[in-house]
Amino acid sequence: MSGDGVRVLLVEDDQVLGEALRDHIAAAGHAVDWFTGVVDSMAATETVEYGLILLDLRLPDGDGLSLLRHLRGRQDATPVIILTAHDQVSDRIEGLNSGADDYLVKPFDLDELTARMLAVSRRYAGKPTSTIRLPGIEIDQINRNVVVDNEIQLLSAREWAVLDKLAARPGAIVSKAQLHEELYAFGAEIESNTVEVYISRLRKKIGHDRIETIRGVGYCIK
Amino acid sequence: MFQTPSMTRKLVVAITSVVAAFWLVAMGFGVLIMQDEFSEIFDSGIQETAERLLPIVNDDLAGRQAGNAPRGVAEKAATNREYLTYQVRGRDGQILLKSRDAPSEPFPIALAVGFSQTDTHRLYTAGTADGSLYIQVADALDHRREAAIEGGMALFFPILALIPASIIAIILVVRMTLSPIEGLRNDIGTKDGGNMIPVDEAGLPVELRPIARSVNLLLERLRSALEAEREFTANSAHELRTPIAGALAQTQRLLAEVPPSLAARAGQIERSLQHLARLAEKLLQMSRAEAGIGISDEKTNLFPILDVVIEDIRRSALGAGRIVLHAQGDARVERQVRPDAFAIVVRNLLENALVHSPARSIVDVYFDSEGLRIVNESAVLDQATLASLTKRFTRGPTQAAGSGLGLSIVKRFVEQMNGNLALHSPATGRPGGFEAAVRF
Repeated sequence: MSGDGVRVLLVEDDQVLGEALRDHIAAAGHAVDWFTGVVDSMAATETVEYGLILLDLRLPDGDGLSLLRHLRGRQDATPVIILTAHDQVSDRIEGLNSGADDYLVKPFDLDELTARMLAVSRRYAGKPTSTIRLPGIEIDQINRNVVVDNEIQLLSAREWAVLDKLAARPGAIVSKAQLHEELYAFGAEIESNTVEVYISRLRKKIGHDRIETIRGVGYCIK
Repeated sequence: MFQTPSMTRKLVVAITSVVAAFWLVAMGFGVLIMQDEFSEIFDSGIQETAERLLPIVNDDLAGRQAGNAPRGVAEKAATNREYLTYQVRGRDGQILLKSRDAPSEPFPIALAVGFSQTDTHRLYTAGTADGSLYIQVADALDHRREAAIEGGMALFFPILALIPASIIAIILVVRMTLSPIEGLRNDIGTKDGGNMIPVDEAGLPVELRPIARSVNLLLERLRSALEAEREFTANSAHELRTPIAGALAQTQRLLAEVPPSLAARAGQIERSLQHLARLAEKLLQMSRAEAGIGISDEKTNLFPILDVVIEDIRRSALGAGRIVLHAQGDARVERQVRPDAFAIVVRNLLENALVHSPARSIVDVYFDSEGLRIVNESAVLDQATLASLTKRFTRGPTQAAGSGLGLSIVKRFVEQMNGNLALHSPATGRPGGFEAAVRF
């Protein structure tokens, strides 16, 4: 995204903020379609393929999450960053569980927005988006759902980033450096043992035997 | 020192006292009636005895030669005490015959047929038709008193044993009767800002139902008021943040577009807006704390919330690469607190630790079933400074940006969560540093 412009759908009903966001995104070299309501935005997503959606939640004609659920419901994996004045952690968890890729609380710095857009775009670069089925585990990359032995497991954003990378090529070895890079691309500063920490957490949630450690090489999901 | 009045104790004391008093009065009446009845029986006894003895004595005296001196009927010495004594007297009052324990002197009463009484005896006098012979049968009043006392004691001693037994019975009955009040009291006692579930009216006695109904109405009104306040706070947050976000974004665009000569002034506006945003954020959090959103009806697993907040702050410029979490990945610590309140607590403690510690220094977060500890590097703070940090708009000896509200917001929320916030400097087990510990 840093170099290649994408088409961005901006859904924001506040005129002052919307204008500034539109200009900022355009100045970064992206095309921007700006809508102030759910209905118009939904119509736009059905006719235009966007590279990224910036989505406000409280809109005059409805809830932004309904647009997000509509997109994910029709298997549209366009990355979505929620922009909202709701800072409650329950709203944030609901937003991420509804299929959002990131969540930015107003007011925010435009540089912060740029960084988040870049991070989300990196995660999606060249990545297939589908549902991956392995014995006893189903990973829905679009809706970001993991079902283990018929039970939905809630993963944090970082845990999801690691699982997503491993599940992209089941059985293939993913090096620690690649997972490091994945966490970095996700927008996080990481410590030296971060990969081990998140592998350990994932094993506790999806089963210890499902992620194999290849000593000195990396990890693979079976 | 005054003891808190207890309905149970009052009832037990009052009922027991009244019952014991009634018993004692009843016993008194019983003794009086018994004494009266005893008198009738004893009077009947001495009358019967006198009337039966008189013809026998008359025949006996007529059938033998009369001696000059009176003599006892019983020639053989006897050891048993006589309850009834008698004297047989002639027309002139001389004692002709007497029982063994009867006095040698004539009874000091006239020889007239019927009942009479001296200081020591109750007597009955019977006489022959011609008035030549009289018999006086006497019953000692001591004997009658002894009978009355023994009869009274026979009533009194069982009462002595029955009073403690009745106290126990009354305590049991009162407790059983008052147990619905106890249950209702305990139920109402658990109600607070987090638990406003209606009191269960089913099974309550009819006398207590109006109380439960009133409490439920009050809870409903309180719940509505708190919900309205929370809703208002949430809406205020939204309405306040959006224009600040617009102004900040416009200013940052302005900074990107204005010539360098105006950049400094635009930068001042940006910093002012950022400060305003932080202050508005803290004031909104404070208003939420005042709205009492800390506690909840339901239990929440706190670890995922901690994880989300830490992850969020790690991605900011302030927290990037500086937070180390010491906790089990699958830690499950459930408490009856609102997720958003706990998130505000964690965010404020973390921001406080990050802002008031050297740049790029590590902030350690320890989390377990006991609670949360956040430790950062800092110079050692004295006790007076530590004590003042949780007061509103009070800041420690620092030049770092801050509102002076963060720790007071944390304290308010932690109190609502029935927890405890402790500030330590130096941090536990370290020569220096600052530690904020939240225990639930």
